[in-house]
Amino acid sequence: MSKSLTLKLAVNGASHELTVEPRVTLLDALREHLGLTGSKKGCDQGQCGACTVHVDGERVLACLTLAAQAEGRAVTTIEGLTPEGADLHPVQAAFLSHDAFQCGYCTPGQIMSAVACIKEGHAGSDAEIREYMSGNLCRCGAYPHIVAAVRQAKEVMS
Amino acid sequence: MTTDILPAKVKRGDASDGGASLGSRLSRIDGPAKITGAARYALEHHPEGLCHAVIVQSTIGAGRIGVIDTAAADAAPGVLMVLTPDRIMPLKSATTWLDTPGPDGPYLPLTNMINFVGQHVAAVVAETFEQATAAAALIKIYYEETDAIATYDDPRSGEGMALDHLAVSWGEAEEALAEAPVRIEATYRTPREYNVPIEPHGLVAQWNGDKLTVWEPSQWINGMSRTYAEWFGVPYENVRLVSPFIGGGFGSKAFALAHGAIAACAAKMLDRPVKLALTRPQTFTAFGGRPATRQTLRLGATEEGRLVSIVQTGANETSRDGVWGEPLASVTALMYATPHLAARQTVVPVNTVLPSALRAPGENPSAFGIECAIDELSYEVGIDPVAIRLLNYAEEDPHAKKPWSTRQLREAYEAGAKAFGWEKRTSEPRSMRDGHHLIGWGVAAGTYPVRRTAGEAMVRLFADGRAEVASSGIDMGQGTYTILAQTAADAIGLPVDQVEVKLGDSALPGAPVAGGSQLANLMTGAVHKAALAARDELIGLAIGDPNSPFRALQANTLSVADGVISSPRGGEEVSIAELMHRLGRDKIEVLRDTLPETNNSAAEKHRTYTTITRMRSPTEGDYSLHAWCVHFIEVRVDEDFGTVRVSRVVSALDSGRLYNPKLAESQWKGGIIMGIGQALLEEGLVDRRKGRVINNNLGDYLIATNADIPDIEVISVGVPDFHASVLGGKAVGELGIVGVAPAIANAVYHATGKRIRDLPITLEKLIE
Repeated sequence: MSKSLTLKLAVNGASHELTVEPRVTLLDALREHLGLTGSKKGCDQGQCGACTVHVDGERVLACLTLAAQAEGRAVTTIEGLTPEGADLHPVQAAFLSHDAFQCGYCTPGQIMSAVACIKEGHAGSDAEIREYMSGNLCRCGAYPHIVAAVRQAKEVMS
Repeated sequence: MTTDILPAKVKRGDASDGGASLGSRLSRIDGPAKITGAARYALEHHPEGLCHAVIVQSTIGAGRIGVIDTAAADAAPGVLMVLTPDRIMPLKSATTWLDTPGPDGPYLPLTNMINFVGQHVAAVVAETFEQATAAAALIKIYYEETDAIATYDDPRSGEGMALDHLAVSWGEAEEALAEAPVRIEATYRTPREYNVPIEPHGLVAQWNGDKLTVWEPSQWINGMSRTYAEWFGVPYENVRLVSPFIGGGFGSKAFALAHGAIAACAAKMLDRPVKLALTRPQTFTAFGGRPATRQTLRLGATEEGRLVSIVQTGANETSRDGVWGEPLASVTALMYATPHLAARQTVVPVNTVLPSALRAPGENPSAFGIECAIDELSYEVGIDPVAIRLLNYAEEDPHAKKPWSTRQLREAYEAGAKAFGWEKRTSEPRSMRDGHHLIGWGVAAGTYPVRRTAGEAMVRLFADGRAEVASSGIDMGQGTYTILAQTAADAIGLPVDQVEVKLGDSALPGAPVAGGSQLANLMTGAVHKAALAARDELIGLAIGDPNSPFRALQANTLSVADGVISSPRGGEEVSIAELMHRLGRDKIEVLRDTLPETNNSAAEKHRTYTTITRMRSPTEGDYSLHAWCVHFIEVRVDEDFGTVRVSRVVSALDSGRLYNPKLAESQWKGGIIMGIGQALLEEGLVDRRKGRVINNNLGDYLIATNADIPDIEVISVGVPDFHASVLGGKAVGELGIVGVAPAIANAVYHATGKRIRDLPITLEKLIE
């Protein structure tokens, strides 16, 4: 297990080379090795959604993905949701205006999920948004505001 | 920090102006950092040379460790150190939050004596997290196991110890009950419940000589710093605790805990910075949540439903090595006018971690009892559940016999009932349905006291006209950053985006615990005072300084608005930045505290910010100070399957003046949502053999998900209460959850005709 791998990861449009053990998860690679701490660790066992990132445009739990599995695929984190210096993404703007978070810890995962939820076509109604956003837990209880934010962002994005 | 809403020119100081003044719906100013991933939480600090610690927890409920075999772990790749009870450095015993001495020392964060499953027994420190995790799995522990008492339902746990300080009585409760024409009796139970903030507990600890820096999520910077300092026998000033962002706490992040001691020990022993993150399962036993509670309520009333007596006996679980009393009479003895009342309770030690605070400790389970019982009484005497509450309305505090400062509870019933459409309710159980769904409408009230401790704040005005507010008080999502910026902006006369707020660092002016829903009220008071003093100093300079353009006006005062100084006599208008430039000042700096002027020594400040001994009770003074709420809740129960869905919530709440309604509403709704989870989902399941919490993860300990929550309407019925606080606010954060579970239980009864008196209300209890 001590044998290391050299991986090339494409994260937020930039290429990174890192040498890690094969058991390092994508989440720990991002947070501990690449300094991208926007993706959060809430449970490390795929139950809370705080670590949600996009891999090739689809939402993925970074804590249940080995870094090695992401090689050759495009990883997007909250830090890369919009180009540097650009305005907020419509989902981010909607989260801010609807106060769709409190402590902010689940928020990057909620936003990455929401962007994917809209792109998947799963934001057609409030009930559908609730169902397809239920993989992301929020203990502060921002759910009604998250639904409102996703609804608004969907309008802006379509 | 930036804001997304520009301040308006005309400020009325309420929500109607759409600007940024206190009372307006300004979006949270720390929001941009949180939605972009820029906000840096404790475990995201990576000092040079960082190594990683992983904890090993006990797998028995009682006994002692015979042998720990660390040979394989010691030899594992990357391992720097394996800590066991025999290897960890002894610490000094720290004083308690009550400013009393701790247990006889030394304090050992790892011990051979086992009191519960999940107690920390060893730790591995390695170069990487993966190496530490792998090596921790190689540690073999041989126990000498003894019998564990898993829960207070085990007859061996006994009756427990009486907590006399929680007993309440007036009148002749037993006699009055015996003579009452109508009597009801029921027992209500709540299970172990866990805080589960989405950010797990953990820290990064780094020593530099005898100075310790800790990055750790904290609801109480000063209190936790004190504990670390005492453990390691270093001056308080030598500990720097940094916590600008906290990923939720709900009561669980107020104390320095054993895992913090372990990380700080490891950092000292290795002379390297150490990161220790509890795993999600470990968070279920590294600290306690709300203890299991049971209470038997006996209500005596007239045939018209007027209460004549309330008798309550209660108990909650505690640990074998400590006492946590969950005050079960806190709402019972406050909500209704009754001429006679007696309440007493015990704590029952079992093999568990010491329970602790979870959102509205005491008020929450207390309200579950009395608010279900009053509903049962309403059916017993045949009157409407709202009507019986108004019939027994307490016009003054029935316990303290003092007038309420404000109690907008009647207004809450009226506004809530109207918005909900309560008058359309048919009272008979099972009388409302929609196809397979039995519809139930329930109501319950809640309350939370106004707690008061002093705080202090630094306000600085800089040469560029910007201001800074600094305090060790924290923001775990309540909105402290935002409302303190609003407070300072209003008091000085600045656009809110010209105010920067620094929080959550022990290097800043002190603050007491962010708990008991007290922080917003005490910190707005301190910032208001400091900001007004800064403004006065600015105006004094503008009037009196030889270089000031206002000097010739001979004005007594000047006004400051939107960062511009002007005289009522007309003449030149000058920005703060321009005035500072002309005066040749680089800053104005003001530190103010809200301690009594007769008793504000450095030692007294330290005691105020690092213990709870200076927290004033809600009945100290001429009035009884409390926040109030009423929840109207609709449930839909599937008749065949017994599944319960909350389909509608209307809550009317009296938190006094709201400093920022947008953020206060978020907290209220968050409390209501946690209450829905408590009513229907949350339950720590305990293995009766060893006392292990078997659902110690987020897949099995169920909290509400998005799909469990309907739209929630919250209505503010509060009025400014200047007895309660300087700027008129009362409790917000802990209020919303109180009364939610009984409103749901009452709605379930209305839907089904079944009284479920033990939470959570799960389908097997309804279909059995």
